Amino acid sequence: MRKSFPADDLARDSRFIRRRIEETVMDPRNGAFRERVEKGEIKAPGRLEPDRPDAPDAARQLMHGIFTGEIQALEGAGRTCWDFEVGDDAPYALKLDMARQCWDEARHTEISMKLNEHMGTEIGEFAEATFLYEAACNPDPVLRLTGVNRALEGLAIDVFNTMRDFGDLSDDPVLEFCEDWMLADEVTHVKMGSDWLRKMTENDPERREQALEFQRIVDKLFSLGGFRGDSEESPIKLARKFREMAGFSEDEIDEISDIADEAMAEATAIGKAATAAAS
Amino acid sequence: MAKVSVQPEEFTFVNYDAKRIIALAEEMAAHAGLGDDVAITIEIDEKSPFGYTTSAVDGPTVTIFAESAAFEDAKNLRELSEEGSRQVLGRLLYRVGDRMDPAFGDPPPDKGLSFEQSSAWNAYAMGRLERAGYFAHKERRRYAFRIRHGFTDVADQVFDRLWASETLTWADIEAACAQTAAVRPERETKGPKSKAKAKAKAKAGK
Repeated sequence: MRKSFPADDLARDSRFIRRRIEETVMDPRNGAFRERVEKGEIKAPGRLEPDRPDAPDAARQLMHGIFTGEIQALEGAGRTCWDFEVGDDAPYALKLDMARQCWDEARHTEISMKLNEHMGTEIGEFAEATFLYEAACNPDPVLRLTGVNRALEGLAIDVFNTMRDFGDLSDDPVLEFCEDWMLADEVTHVKMGSDWLRKMTENDPERREQALEFQRIVDKLFSLGGFRGDSEESPIKLARKFREMAGFSEDEIDEISDIADEAMAEATAIGKAATAAAS
Repeated sequence: MAKVSVQPEEFTFVNYDAKRIIALAEEMAAHAGLGDDVAITIEIDEKSPFGYTTSAVDGPTVTIFAESAAFEDAKNLRELSEEGSRQVLGRLLYRVGDRMDPAFGDPPPDKGLSFEQSSAWNAYAMGRLERAGYFAHKERRRYAFRIRHGFTDVADQVFDRLWASETLTWADIEAACAQTAAVRPERETKGPKSKAKAKAKAKAGK
């Protein structure tokens, strides 16, 4: 079985359609929309809450994104079990943690599939972006672990917390309960990443800094142009309490918040340029 | 056949064909029973990536407003979805047909409808669309209905009744809303309930 599997080769049936994240970022409507928000002509939709007119469909789309994200998290953790040899590359206990994570992600995939059904969504109804799995392709195990277990799983904490609150507010006991349980697992996954990062770079501050720099890059990508962040405009809010439980310091969370602001500013600039080109 | 026009006539932010949208609207207007004397203008905000829609009726003149994503293919960014457009136009035009029918009653304008009223009326419209032979995405509509009317057995029964109905009035829609409201737990409107409860406790000094 080959090592370091590229995202383009991931197995999917004909229901799944891929979309590059760049297509979304470069959509000229985003820049035009932000310009109108800045001018005060219209309001941004803001947090994902039931009092948004588009709440049911926005929640369905996000839930489908969670479902495909869970498949990719399973594939990423699975690759980490296989791609690195026990020894200098990866301690056996790390691979054991990744195997446990695979089991969690497989369960999450099934739960998410059933939640999609509960919300009236068909598998493949929305496009799939593979940028989550792409963060799990780094050839250095420490960088990969940081990308997956701190950045990707950190995003999962923010998303699950938002969806759990959405279930709570809309009195949807199925959604609230399922998201709460999955959220607990994600906190554990991030904690694994934080612990292994410290352990494996204990005597190598340069490698630790490289890993943290890689995490910053991935976190900027995962901020999705401000879709996730502390801003009132961000539909997904940073789940500070759960991130602290998972081993993030307050400074680290503040840094992710700043990165999200940068991502929003960059996406706005890109969007405006795309808007100008389309006009 | 109703006369349909689309604004803008040419799109630059999305790859939509105005003539195709006109044809789809004419098809759905015929199912909704709108006659030759009805003029429909569809205004599409192609600069918005969202999917909000609304309609207004002034005598025989109908104006539909839609943000671009209302007609978009969820799998192919900025491309038109014929099936999705039929659903949106069918839903709106069945409601327009209701507004034009004096026997239906006098509902408030779209912008004055509550989420509950709107989702109940949508269930009634989409049920008819399904029986006209179109895919109406029933379970998606049921979820939207539950979000507005509660995750209760009563809400599900009311949804099924609205979906299966052929000749309702506005009073029936209001009665359906009252029926689900009677068993729905009171909701917080902003922020998670747990946080609202914690705030209330902190205020009370507990």
